Amino acid sequence: MPWQCTNEHQENKKGVMPRHYDWYSVMENAKQGLRRKNIFKSNTVMMFIVLIVVVVFFTIMNHNYFSYGNMANILLAASTVGLLSIGQTYLIIAGHIDLSCGNVAAMSGVAVALLINGGVPWPVAIIIVVIASSVVGFVNSGLVNIFMLQPFIATLAVSSVCEGAAFLICNGKSQPVNDKVFTSIGTMRIIGIPFPAILMLFLFLVFGFILSRTVFGRSVYMIGGNPTASHLAGLNPKKISTILYIISSMIAALAGAVMTSKMHSGQPGAGSGSEFDAITAAVLGGVAFTGGKGNLLGCFIGLLIIQTFSNGLTVVNVSSFWQVVAKGLLLIAALVFDYVRQKKLMI
Amino acid sequence: MENYVEFKDICKSFVGVKALQNISFRANGGEVCALLGENGAGKSTLLKILSGAQPADSGVYIINGDEMKFNSPVEAIRSGVSIIYQERQLVKELSVTENIFMEDLPSNRLGFVERKKAACETRKIIDLFKLPFSPGTKVKELSVAHQQMVEIMKAYRRNSRIIAFDEPTASLSDNEIGVLFELIEKLRQEGKVILYVSHRLKELFQITDKIVIMKDGCFVSDLKTKDATEPELIRLMVGRKIGDIYNNLDRNDNIGDVVLETKDMTNDYIKNVSFKLHRGEVLGFAGLVGAGRSETMRAIFGEDKLTSGEICVDGKQRHIRSPKDAINAGIGLCPEDRKEQGLVLGRSVQDNISITVLRQLSKAGVIDRKAERKMSENAVAKYQIKTPTVDKVVMELSGGNQQKVILGRWLSADLKILILDEPTKGIDVGAKAEIYKMVCSLAKSGLGIIFISSELPEVLNICDRVIIMKDGGIAGELTRNDVSEEKVLALAMHE
Repeated sequence: MPWQCTNEHQENKKGVMPRHYDWYSVMENAKQGLRRKNIFKSNTVMMFIVLIVVVVFFTIMNHNYFSYGNMANILLAASTVGLLSIGQTYLIIAGHIDLSCGNVAAMSGVAVALLINGGVPWPVAIIIVVIASSVVGFVNSGLVNIFMLQPFIATLAVSSVCEGAAFLICNGKSQPVNDKVFTSIGTMRIIGIPFPAILMLFLFLVFGFILSRTVFGRSVYMIGGNPTASHLAGLNPKKISTILYIISSMIAALAGAVMTSKMHSGQPGAGSGSEFDAITAAVLGGVAFTGGKGNLLGCFIGLLIIQTFSNGLTVVNVSSFWQVVAKGLLLIAALVFDYVRQKKLMI
Repeated sequence: MENYVEFKDICKSFVGVKALQNISFRANGGEVCALLGENGAGKSTLLKILSGAQPADSGVYIINGDEMKFNSPVEAIRSGVSIIYQERQLVKELSVTENIFMEDLPSNRLGFVERKKAACETRKIIDLFKLPFSPGTKVKELSVAHQQMVEIMKAYRRNSRIIAFDEPTASLSDNEIGVLFELIEKLRQEGKVILYVSHRLKELFQITDKIVIMKDGCFVSDLKTKDATEPELIRLMVGRKIGDIYNNLDRNDNIGDVVLETKDMTNDYIKNVSFKLHRGEVLGFAGLVGAGRSETMRAIFGEDKLTSGEICVDGKQRHIRSPKDAINAGIGLCPEDRKEQGLVLGRSVQDNISITVLRQLSKAGVIDRKAERKMSENAVAKYQIKTPTVDKVVMELSGGNQQKVILGRWLSADLKILILDEPTKGIDVGAKAEIYKMVCSLAKSGLGIIFISSELPEVLNICDRVIIMKDGGIAGELTRNDVSEEKVLALAMHE
């Protein structure tokens, strides 16, 4: 550099690590590192510990709880909400939200059933609904990015439209599917693990990789943290959020198809409300509503906590109504705990 | 009874960092007392303690003979302490009256608001301050300067004995600053204690009676303003001699060919803006607030659409419709508002530096994490950004270092033109000097630099050429040799 700082020594003390290490500075840095990189600072690690505590607790209560079969069932039960929570995590990190995904799933589930019963081969039916549902994503994005509606309000309205549409296209009657191959997919198990769970795990891996390692994933974080600054740094927040809304709707459609296959029929009321479970999972896993923070691993752990907890309550014979209450309390506890921990670190 | 506030041995620390150590001094009524120090010297912390927003670890402050310890801002307000922060504490959707009477609107026995009485009182204060708006005006309709006046009227209405200003002129134009100073003078004459925090030394000489200098959380000295000189203040503040920060700059003399040319750029905010920028040149843009400087830059950077005119980079016309197009054309921007427009505050130093070049650092969309780390560590070293690691969240850095992060962002981008919009706003003298050095070294490397600043001395000393804007157009152009503060002001304000 043509210019040098006059008091290099002083700068180095507070600045980046000096080129020549001495023992003192190595020790200091190590100490600082330990203090800063406190593993308890990581929400993901804390939630993982909570998950283990939950599993251990219910295993003590009932030894059948921690069996291969029951764990597989927990994954199966988590699969629909899990699929939806992928889209939610992306959107919430980007500073958006999609409340329509639950009803998009319901609508698509019914549509798949109708298509198959109408003679369309099942793979084609799935592809059709997945592609068709991207229209919903487009509409969501248009309302948010062009007409500047709040994502919460816009997707809430779209959600209502989809809910109604789900009932309209089947006249409010559930649609049993006769295609044996299609219905066997939802109940198929590979080495004991249900196929819907495998699909969910696979998508979590793929989208987890995209979010944490790719330029696109990083952009999602940046636009969520500060859309104006990101735009001025050359990103296109509107384009990115449009892609996210479309992804969310398409995954929701896929989840709807899986749901129909699992239940052997398309049911118009099936997915309604599951968007909130998906959001709960994401938030429990450390995805912040203010945007720019969180990851899919956390979301996955959050999802497992909810499922292991409610499954555990079933195993120890607690009423299912209590499970709903417990889910809410769990979320409150997690958020309060997170707040207290953050505050401690701040002071 | 005469007003005064006396600080006695105030100490405060945050997790091992001593923010304030044994601060003791006294400020009397009827005098304006400046708090001066680099960023992180502890001025803001001291104000927060006085306002009751944060408790002191030890020590007391005495107001008019009474020992005080406020546990909340409400207590401080009741005891006559008002702090006017840089970020205005106003409800923009409500009227001037409602903001002025925020915490105790006059009400009758049933709890209904007595609107007329409140409006009447407000009218009296507005008239007293000779301001051109009415009690019912919504705050969001007022200019930034007038919003600030509303804050001051709020403090006045509370009958505060102590009024502290935290960087009140940071977003005001020269005219507005004049009005503000008149108000402060008025408050001073009424015998109020006025604490005044500012980085602009010139202002301190204009308005203060006494200057208290702080450094690294310690009290350094206090002196009468009339006995102080600028170099002395800087020496006390920085603790070392910077000398004349402008004279030691290694300026670039080798100015090349035209790199950016605009022809008759026109849109809703600017009209017929044409200028040329050369390689290795630092081109200053001066003018009053609202003269169209930032708007010109927004147009060049693709943030605002042009209705007519063209932008040529390296002699080729470029259609710039978004910041992305601008970056592809080789233009970089450090925006005016670091926190709102520049940085993603919740993300790491690394994320904020690599954001513009992430595509180049990746293969098939997957980020090469080693390359990214290396690149950001290089930028940290090169720009001497003070941070323990590149993983540190940008929010936790000081203002000067945050600015350097934004500069660092453009280091690896393939850049021909760099636009700096108020790069030294709100940062301390030491960091300013470093930014000046950076600007010069970037110019030496062949970049064309556009430098916008409201601080005239800065523009006069850094720039090779200065363009003066007024009412959205170019009012004149001065070269380094014949530029002077008077000439610039004459062009900027000439009717």
